[in-house]
Amino acid sequence: MTSEQAAMGTTVTAPQGTPPGAGRERVFGLVQRHGAAAVLVLLLVTGSLAFERFPTGDNLGNIAITSSFLATVALGMTFVIITGGIDLSVGSVFALGGVLAAYGVRWGSLAALLLPLAVCGAIGLLQGLLIARVRLAPFIVTLAGLLGARGLLLSISDEGARTYLIPHASLLARIGQGSVLGVGYPVYLTLVLFLAGAVLLQRTRFGQSVYAIGGGQDAAALMGVPVTRTKVTVYVMSGLLAGFAGALNAARLSSGVTILGTGMELDVIAAVVIGGTLLTGGAGSVSGTIAGVLLLGVIQNLINQIGDLSSSYQQVVSGAFLAVVVVVQTYLSRVQRLR
Amino acid sequence: MTVPPRRGARTAALLAVLTVAAAGCAKSEDKQPAGAQDTQGQQQVAQTPSGNAPSCTIDKFGGKKFDLKSGVVGFSQSEKEANPFRIAETKSIKDEAKKAGIANLKATNGQSQFNKQISDVQQLIAQGAQALIIAPLNSDGWEPVLQQASAKHIPIITVDRKINATPCKDYVTFIGSDFYQQGKRAADQMVKALGGKGKVAILLGASGNNVTTDRTNGFKDELKQKAPGIQITFQQTGEFAREKGQQVTEQMIQSNPDVNGLYAENDEMALGAVTALKGAGKKAGQIKIVSVDGTRDAVSQIGSGWISAVVESNPRFGPLAFQTLSRFLAGDAIPDKVIIADREYDSSNAQQSVGSAF
Repeated sequence: MTSEQAAMGTTVTAPQGTPPGAGRERVFGLVQRHGAAAVLVLLLVTGSLAFERFPTGDNLGNIAITSSFLATVALGMTFVIITGGIDLSVGSVFALGGVLAAYGVRWGSLAALLLPLAVCGAIGLLQGLLIARVRLAPFIVTLAGLLGARGLLLSISDEGARTYLIPHASLLARIGQGSVLGVGYPVYLTLVLFLAGAVLLQRTRFGQSVYAIGGGQDAAALMGVPVTRTKVTVYVMSGLLAGFAGALNAARLSSGVTILGTGMELDVIAAVVIGGTLLTGGAGSVSGTIAGVLLLGVIQNLINQIGDLSSSYQQVVSGAFLAVVVVVQTYLSRVQRLR
Repeated sequence: MTVPPRRGARTAALLAVLTVAAAGCAKSEDKQPAGAQDTQGQQQVAQTPSGNAPSCTIDKFGGKKFDLKSGVVGFSQSEKEANPFRIAETKSIKDEAKKAGIANLKATNGQSQFNKQISDVQQLIAQGAQALIIAPLNSDGWEPVLQQASAKHIPIITVDRKINATPCKDYVTFIGSDFYQQGKRAADQMVKALGGKGKVAILLGASGNNVTTDRTNGFKDELKQKAPGIQITFQQTGEFAREKGQQVTEQMIQSNPDVNGLYAENDEMALGAVTALKGAGKKAGQIKIVSVDGTRDAVSQIGSGWISAVVESNPRFGPLAFQTLSRFLAGDAIPDKVIIADREYDSSNAQQSVGSAF
């Protein structure tokens, strides 16, 4: 897929000289491009009909705030995956960001935010340089990052036995725990980040480069796309966003919980892929990613609504749900390609 | 744009069918698989005196009374029911709820992901839970839950692990074992097994909770006091998991071949260690193993000589949890912690009492 096609991801262009009945097809085309969003809407409707406690403000607010941290991490991952890369370190970096924020709060809230950003950004920079300059495989480099970041976390928390606390009165805690109109600040912050991400990806030269590299690195280089710089940048972004999400999550929990983030990278990748971003790179959108994240959150919530499902079956059901979503999506995109 | 209308209809139909099928599937599997062991076993008994003098009443806590039978009670389990302790714990809570006639028990499972457990409990609150029983995965980080629960005056009882917060304000009480004491008793058994001198390795539990910390400190303090001749030469976390316990023990056999005692902070890791020792060609009893939990698998290894002693940590929280809850709702004063009396298994009683292991 070329960058031009991919960049159209979120905008639907009506055909020239609209024939009668095209309105319906246009809506249908929209549904196809946003498979995750379509399934999400269906689940929301089904859930609201089946469970009276599902469509309440409290419950939806919970889904939003729980999803916001995963979403922030997934935003960075979307850029990485569109370039054809992968970042397995995000779960560990997320946890590290939280512990660093709780560790750094002794020097004030600003330091508590800057410390995780600096360290996690540096991890992203190192990974990006190894991948883009030394041309090592992203899978291996970021696997090393996963282990390294976890090790760093353990070393500053006495092997994970020590949990640093974030005092209530601190600005950081208030950012993590405060809310307007029943919705927590982290949700608004996530929305702002996604808007910025969408503009960056769809409306800037940098975004074009990201798509071009995923479409074909050598061709992109021949076209004059700054391949190395762009690739390094996406890994730095991924590290920064994971660290930021971790810090924000720690602020919400009032503590640098050390056991977070194990296996989180898989949820993040799943959300991005469900959102329509191709693992092979070159295509995808941040709006799809947010739908993918919310879909995971809603599925989890619905499983809990059922109430008495044993934990092993919960996993079977969420696995089955994911499979269904992917099948529907593949089907939809195939239909789209046939047109 | 030349999609034939039929294709559109087909896609929509497929979507609808898949969603309905998935939802239907979820509902019909709404059954608990039969637990591995018998339901009742040995019920938990509270130690007397347990904790400080009972002081927390529903008036002091600020809650509202409700009828437990018709009310909504939420239970949040921390880990998958994939090991005997969690299986027995969840089963005990569910069975007891049934026995007490509680119609509306909502159970969730955090699947070892802390953020998931937090959102599970928040969802239980949003679903109208009037009381919560929580088996916390981690002791810190409960701020969002405690805020929501205290705004609605929902009483919380934590079982098996503590939450680092104020009893009778943030939560009502903690029901669990005295883990420090368990560590001390394990040390006593180790001293007995080794005859007062030797080199000991520790398989630590998962970090970040009070169980690991207390079982470690209790063991070390008691050894220091009772048997200065015993040295601790190796300690590493096996994360309460069997395969991790096996892995760490394999490394330990290589790096510290002179170890002659091993303290595992739960049975799963001890069983992993037994596998590792067998694999390395060791004989039963060559390295003395003492562990904590009291699972059937571990207790039966006492008979075969691989494990020297097991200190019990009783997971059957159901009866005590609901009894405490209903007393609290009836207006009785509740202590800030309810400590369980745990038993011990060694070669003298393992054969007779393996039936009460879980």
